[in-house]
Amino acid sequence: MSTSLNLDKDHLTACISCGLCLPHCPTYQTTQDESRSPRGRISLMRGVEDGLMPLSKEVIESLDTCVQCLGCETACPSGVRYGELIGQTREVLNSHRKVSFRLRAGLWILLHMRVLLFGSRVLAVLQRLKLVPNKALPVPSRIPLRGVRYVQNDDPEVILFTGCVMDVWLSQVHEAALSVLDSIGVRYMISGNQVGCCGALHSHAGFRSTANKQALEVISALPSDLPILVDSAGCGAVLKEYGSLLGTQEARIFSSRVYDIHEWLINDSKWRESLPARRPGNKKVIVQDPCHLRHVQKAHTSVRELLTPFVECLELDDEGLCCGAGGAFSVDQPELAKEIRDKKLKSIQRAGRHLVVSANPGCMIHLESAGVEILHPIQVVAEYIGGKEDHE
Amino acid sequence: MNRSRGNDQLFQELCRDIGTNRVHRDGASQLLYSRDGSAFPGGIPGVVCFPETTQHVVDCIKAANRHDRSFVPRGAGTGLAGGAVPCDAPLVISTTKMNSILEVNYEKRFAWVGPGVVNLDLTKSLTGTGFHFAPDPSSQQSCTIGGNVANNSGGPHCLAYGVTNAHILAIEVVLPDGTLVQLGDVDGHASGYDLRGVFVGGEGTLGIATRIAVKLTPDPPEIRTLLLDFMDVADAAKTVSAIIASGIVPAAIEMMDKRIVNVVEEFVKVGYPTDAAAVLIIEVDGLPEGVKIEVERIQSISLEHGARSVRVASSDEEREQIWKGRKSAFGAVAQIQPGYYLHDTVIPRTKLVEVLEAVYEIANRYELIVMNVFHAGDGNLHPLLVFDPQEPGVMERVLVAGEEIVQVSLDAGGVLSGEHGIGLEKKRFMEKLFSEEDLAAQKLLKDAFDPDGRANPFKVLPSGASCSEVNHLNQLPDGAWV
Ligand SMILES: Cc1cc2nc3c(=O)[nH]c(=O)nc-3n(C[C@H](O)[C@H](O)[C@H](O)COP(=O)(O)OP(=O)(O)OC[C@H]3O[C@@H](n4cnc5c(N)ncnc54)[C@H](O)[C@@H]3O)c2cc1C
Ligand code: SF4
Ligand code: SF4
Repeated sequence: MSTSLNLDKDHLTACISCGLCLPHCPTYQTTQDESRSPRGRISLMRGVEDGLMPLSKEVIESLDTCVQCLGCETACPSGVRYGELIGQTREVLNSHRKVSFRLRAGLWILLHMRVLLFGSRVLAVLQRLKLVPNKALPVPSRIPLRGVRYVQNDDPEVILFTGCVMDVWLSQVHEAALSVLDSIGVRYMISGNQVGCCGALHSHAGFRSTANKQALEVISALPSDLPILVDSAGCGAVLKEYGSLLGTQEARIFSSRVYDIHEWLINDSKWRESLPARRPGNKKVIVQDPCHLRHVQKAHTSVRELLTPFVECLELDDEGLCCGAGGAFSVDQPELAKEIRDKKLKSIQRAGRHLVVSANPGCMIHLESAGVEILHPIQVVAEYIGGKEDHE
Repeated sequence: MNRSRGNDQLFQELCRDIGTNRVHRDGASQLLYSRDGSAFPGGIPGVVCFPETTQHVVDCIKAANRHDRSFVPRGAGTGLAGGAVPCDAPLVISTTKMNSILEVNYEKRFAWVGPGVVNLDLTKSLTGTGFHFAPDPSSQQSCTIGGNVANNSGGPHCLAYGVTNAHILAIEVVLPDGTLVQLGDVDGHASGYDLRGVFVGGEGTLGIATRIAVKLTPDPPEIRTLLLDFMDVADAAKTVSAIIASGIVPAAIEMMDKRIVNVVEEFVKVGYPTDAAAVLIIEVDGLPEGVKIEVERIQSISLEHGARSVRVASSDEEREQIWKGRKSAFGAVAQIQPGYYLHDTVIPRTKLVEVLEAVYEIANRYELIVMNVFHAGDGNLHPLLVFDPQEPGVMERVLVAGEEIVQVSLDAGGVLSGEHGIGLEKKRFMEKLFSEEDLAAQKLLKDAFDPDGRANPFKVLPSGASCSEVNHLNQLPDGAWV
């Protein structure tokens, strides 16, 4: 059986098998097996494309176990566009193998805000009654009991993108983001439940048509030319990619309006002007970069820049290795996700006993369920601005 | 020999002896373990084994012996000479899971490590102890210490500190018949012939290293990195000779020519001068006073010899960035063309200018792009011929041009390989460098370790058949295994 993955030949041949990506790949780092490495996955794609390799069980496993963190893309000196290769491959794979029930169910719920809201409220109550063991599900340990009513300004200058799960499970992060905007007098509106999911996880899982449909909906629901601020690295990454996903002028213009919130703040004049009034604390935080911020948006340094007026930022010693959350990866490949997380936990341990900050809900939930004390960076900023800087 | 006979038996015995999850023979694994970091087309492994202990390795080799099979040790597969490429459907024995640092003795300054420990991981694990592992091949973030030992690898800092051989005290080896021996001794008291020294550089043809005692080198108290640029390659080469002639031995002297500087700058963006004909990266280390004086002397020598500017890195970050560029050089060439073929000859430093000129001339004549990035301090050239393998006829031109480059180096009094090894790739040149008697003597050495020719066959020494011919005989239908 020979199958075509419809991959760009030039992208495939750009890999010269030097192996310099190996240390930056979380799945190779945990398995030391080429079939779990970027170089290996590219070789297999090439093997399939050249008709040398059938899409065997082992090939599919190799490709399915990729977290799509793109650590390899940042590390690759020959500029291999691995993200495009694996994205395209995943799409073809979906018509060759069953997608796990867990993953399908999860992706379906994200697109049905009412089910998501209802299910989450039930879960929140069960959590309070201690009827679901902590760590049993890939959800935060304390889901809010009810939805938040955000106050919005007339005549807004920016839009905060609130998304799906994050709004339901981690609304305190959005509240923190809005309070930071309030503190410097930026008028805002939120995208809200009407807009819902950005389709990042669907795009990741290779359901490109669903992802494209979500993209079209999001774009048409957020007209105007207001900047769109995002406090979830995963959502931000895909919103910035709408332009290349859809290939239309409208989508490109939309994408150019999207900013990670840290990236936007450090370049905002109101934020800069308010800086001299900041009081530095002597607290240290460990910065854990979400892959979608570091390897995709390449905006991770802005988190440090935003935090340094308040706290001392400590770096991990793993050069931005993925934590294993990987969007829906921790749902689809729970075992491997845990092994990858164990490496991250060791690295966190080596950095000392400090609060960890991570600018992505997936990473926050994944690390929190291993007992890590974790906040979103914007929450730390909000606490200092709100005068609660003695947070421990 | 019919390789499919008795294979199920071999596979089952391996599964029994080292565990099913450590033995792979599916088509995907066979494809993945058919190549290393070189452009050498791969062979086909019979079975791929992932031992985690010395006993596992012994079990693998004993199984190979029982079934009359050969074996190929493999580290991270970053080798550039096809050393880990399987010929004759062997067991590929991957050491990547033997990656524990087993013992660190700061007092006696050594560490026992598994062969699969990644070079940079060892140095990183020593951060803050005041020690490091000195050999630093540009692939150090990925390659294994077992691979370094087998290829006697070098790196920029081997100019002052010596190549891998100078940093290995003892090696535990499983010989090709499955016996376990220790070569060398951590106290340096081993008597008799220095078999440790023979094994280093053995390219996996003498057995498999299962534990390695490495020397720990104290971190220098002060390090300074300089970036110099020249409008003429010859001026850069003369500067290198003049610095060494003045009695200074810098920790590293690396040279990159204009083309390579341009591709590297595209990747790291640290401000390498892209209009210069060549840049030198020079590092000096030692006591602060001495370093200061050496930096000043290097500055004045290089300006006298035509350097356009000398930049001294002002922070650790800047240093790291300058080195990151150099260390990504091989990988970055794919930005120009997807294929590269590189040689690794060492020439007398005094011949640098004339050999470089000849290299450019050869490339021009064959209408190929050549880029030069190399350890200038010890005359170890790495001319990279860059090409698109899809282009019809290009491979032939690349091979002939490569051969001429090697010849020019040998004519200048040089040798075949500085650090990447001979492997499959350069063995056809061995007859150019060595006489028949020399080669026969080397064959005797190999036979003493490996009388049945089981360890990494078809490598290093010239032989009747080439790996591709052997593999041709073993061509298999999809999904089958040998
Ligand atoms: C980008 C790039 C830059 C490089 N830069 C340098 C450089 O600066 N200097 C340099 O010297 N090399 C360099 N190399 C070449 C290569 O990285 C080195 O030769 C390295 O030591 C190989 O290590 P490995 O673990 O990848 O070994 P592999 O490629 O897996 O194997 C290499 C050889 O070692 C044998 N071997 C592996 N493990 C064992 C063992 N435990 N016991 C016995 N034999 C074993 C194999 O059979 C094979 O013959 C570079 C390669 C790349 C891709
Ligand atoms: S993906 Fe890039 S870094 Fe990895 S092996 Fe291929 S060329 Fe090298
Ligand atoms: S995307 Fe991440 S997990 Fe996938 S191959 Fe690249 S580094 Fe490995």
